[in-house]
Amino acid sequence: MTDQTVHATTVAPAALLRRIPGVTFILVGMIVLFAVGNPRFLSAVNLTNIGLQASLLLMLALPMTLIILTAGLDLSVGALLGLCGVVIAALLVAGWSLPAAVAAAMLVGLVAGAVNGFLVGYLGLPAFVVTLGTMGLCEGLSLVITNGDPIGGFTPVLEAFYRSTLFAVPTPVLVAATLYGLLSLLLYRTRFGNYVFAIGGNKDALHLAGINANLVHMGVYLLCSLTVALSALLLLGRTNSAHPSVAVGMEFEAIAAVVLGGTSFEKGQGWLFGTVLGVLAISVLRNGLNVLSVEPSLQVVCVGLLLIAALLIDRNRKQASRDIA
Amino acid sequence: MTTMDTPAPASARSQPLAPGTLAIVVRLGLIACIGVLLSSLSPGFATTDNLLNILRQASLLFLVASGLTLVIIGGGLDLSIGANLTLCACLSAAAIKSTGQPAAGIVVALGCGALVGLTNGVLINRVKIPPFLATFGMLWVAQGIAYWFMAGQVVYGFSPAFRFFGSGFWLGIPLPIWVMLVTGACGVIFLSRTTIGREVYLMGANEAAAVLSGIPVARRRTLLYVVSGLMAGLAALIYVARLNAAEPGIGEPLLLPAIAAVLVGGTSLFGGSGSLVGTLLGAIILTLIVNALNLLNVSASWHPFVTGVIVVVAVLADAAVNRGARR
Amino acid sequence: MKTRHLRRIGLISVVACGLAASPAFAAGEVIAAFTKNQVDPHFEGVRAGVEQMAKKMGATVRQYVPTKPNNITEGMSQLEDVGVTKPNLVLFMPIDPKAQLPTIKRLIESGTPVLNYNDKAGDAPYLAFVGQDDYKLGYDIAKTLFDHLGGKGNVVILEGIKGSNTGDERKRGFDAALKEYPNIKLLASQPANFQRLLGLQVMENLIQQFSDINGVIAAADASALGAAEALKSAGRGNVPVVSINGVPEAVEAVKNGSLLAIAEFNGFKIGCVATEIGLKAIRGEVVPKRVVIPGAVITKANHTEWLVPYQQRTCPAAAEYVGQ
Repeated sequence: MTDQTVHATTVAPAALLRRIPGVTFILVGMIVLFAVGNPRFLSAVNLTNIGLQASLLLMLALPMTLIILTAGLDLSVGALLGLCGVVIAALLVAGWSLPAAVAAAMLVGLVAGAVNGFLVGYLGLPAFVVTLGTMGLCEGLSLVITNGDPIGGFTPVLEAFYRSTLFAVPTPVLVAATLYGLLSLLLYRTRFGNYVFAIGGNKDALHLAGINANLVHMGVYLLCSLTVALSALLLLGRTNSAHPSVAVGMEFEAIAAVVLGGTSFEKGQGWLFGTVLGVLAISVLRNGLNVLSVEPSLQVVCVGLLLIAALLIDRNRKQASRDIA
Repeated sequence: MTTMDTPAPASARSQPLAPGTLAIVVRLGLIACIGVLLSSLSPGFATTDNLLNILRQASLLFLVASGLTLVIIGGGLDLSIGANLTLCACLSAAAIKSTGQPAAGIVVALGCGALVGLTNGVLINRVKIPPFLATFGMLWVAQGIAYWFMAGQVVYGFSPAFRFFGSGFWLGIPLPIWVMLVTGACGVIFLSRTTIGREVYLMGANEAAAVLSGIPVARRRTLLYVVSGLMAGLAALIYVARLNAAEPGIGEPLLLPAIAAVLVGGTSLFGGSGSLVGTLLGAIILTLIVNALNLLNVSASWHPFVTGVIVVVAVLADAAVNRGARR
Repeated sequence: MKTRHLRRIGLISVVACGLAASPAFAAGEVIAAFTKNQVDPHFEGVRAGVEQMAKKMGATVRQYVPTKPNNITEGMSQLEDVGVTKPNLVLFMPIDPKAQLPTIKRLIESGTPVLNYNDKAGDAPYLAFVGQDDYKLGYDIAKTLFDHLGGKGNVVILEGIKGSNTGDERKRGFDAALKEYPNIKLLASQPANFQRLLGLQVMENLIQQFSDINGVIAAADASALGAAEALKSAGRGNVPVVSINGVPEAVEAVKNGSLLAIAEFNGFKIGCVATEIGLKAIRGEVVPKRVVIPGAVITKANHTEWLVPYQQRTCPAAAEYVGQ
């Protein structure tokens, strides 16, 4: 199991082609279609839009990939993102400095990740159940803290940061790209990464090899929650206010993006870059439907069709390669 | 090979009887505790009216959660129940309005529910798309069709004969509670007294063993999704009759509470264990909590938090019980 | 064989989505009209009003609604995306004014004319604001109920969505009226989020909690209708319920007595007038910066006008409301 994953980065071209998830074809098809439908789709302004809209989802979907590789999932990320945003905003309004407020949010993330990780990693409870519970707790806490009202009027630094660019690339996109770089190093170049794949494949074998698999398992949830806590800065920069329920529901889109990207819920199979493709597919679809001003109710149907169609393609290719073999 | 002489794979994890009964006793105890506490704190609690009110609210939640329970016991998941309910409600309400026949609405609701369920079942069990994604995709498709069909309008105003199913009383007890009891009883008999029911537990607990013992797992699971869809259709009818209207926002807020009811009821998401009685108690507990917070004048902002605590506590309690049983 | 078939289905669906998208590029200005959800008929009224007036004035309308009801981030993305298509006029109502203000300011800076309608959206160089006075609607309808009760009794409030301008302003209006009636006691004020099911269930619980409710104020029709159902099935159908909006279903409820009265928040008129003012502004006419459409109190005595379906109504002229 570990052997396979060590070589994961150096696969033959044919295997790489096979690994490309079906959503890639749809992504390319959509880009062509939208570009034909409205040439402004490919304009710099719109590409910036897509980048900005994708970056936050990517920040959630990347660590989610690691969790799904361990045959788990984390439903609490959306609610936690909202909670961390509320915590930062409330503390800023109360006169805390930005670093202190962020540290507090990181602490919240740490606690959430530790609870999820302990219950899933050490006690072996189903991740769906555990994280559904923490989702309720996080959403509830944000409501209690804010009493349902949005919090605004904190430092404009966050919005300025969110809107800043480096070499014409928006900072949030760079942040998400950096996270991708770090996580792919972690996943493909370190032993921790190998263990992550191994947990999804066969956790018991990892135990037998004398590795503290439970700790690694918990570490994945901690990593995810801490990333989410940091992402709250991007969310605050985007919305310029903290709303208790603003990010609820994003967890489902993040999970969908990961699975679209070819990571499966079983057996520790997956590809981090696939997640980038999955997030891009969702973001491009939503952006393109708006740019072409598709009828609102059809837009809803299209999101569902994208998910089903991409996985249909995956299934068929797997079937086809099995037929050849 | 018959199902009866399988090499007992179920005993590995599920132990369907002993911990299951214990879990139900624990939940009944919890309900009793909350009940005693509340009746001492608030005089309005222990009235027949209030208890029937709680049960009626719980019955709507139970109807949505019951099909989901079956799917989860069989080792699947259905995220589309809320959107399915919305679509069935909108289509059936329109059918009743245009024909004037409640029967037409019933046919349309159950047909629509079964069709969405069948699509889920086929996508998951024949095309082999993971349940999470297939049903999440169907959620969007069903919701979108409902938006398109309704075009921003509400269908409202139904005959008293139809509304009886949602707001009527029989022997002093609201009709939705009767519907809950009847469907619950049917479900319990299905799960515990029929071969297919026992197969559902087996394939949820150990799919490989189920295949080896000759159970047509794909077909059985597809059947469960159809049943889940039918329940969404039935729930849609009760909702329309209760609210006297159908709008495309009706079902979406029900998904997470329904999942929570299943979990608080003690059904394991690993599949293979759980019960409809548990889900019934789960629905009652969740409804009871909100009712209690209201009677105690706690701000509505606290409701999601307390619900989250209940879910976590229920899950932890089950984990502790299972560990104890394993030792 | 089968696999190819399935792949084709996938392709067709994507292509179909794309084709359905390209509306005929008709002559005249393109208006991008934003509404908050596809659930509440109030917004269907707004959309119908915009469509009718745009057609009359020779412009084309594109509707934008978030796929998830009242979703803030989606609403922001849609604003950004619409900016790319460079419509001639944007009609904008905020889902959350605090969150969306920076985005809308950038849109205006990039040269797209934006008119704010329905909900106030903070301080930005809009062409104009067209809407109603939510505070006054709340105040008027609360007074209507209190007067009906003879100035004394116990009431409950079903609030709207917290943080939305509409919800907060209406609540402020209710509270102001309450202050003027010392013998009216507020038993409870709970959010029902403009929703029907929530209105029903919150009311069911309130009925158990308080045996002496004399009146109900709801921030919108859907929650009022839910509350009226709850009261009726508890055998307390005689408790008067008032609300704000006046969608046809609720007006019918006024007609048959389930609701006592509604303060008119007329989406259709708002849509019509906003479109007329907006188009005139971009065609170079001088327009008023602020048009506040007055809202009547709809009761059994005068309800017929609001029973007409949106598609069959005729847009009023903006001039009727200018200078009021």
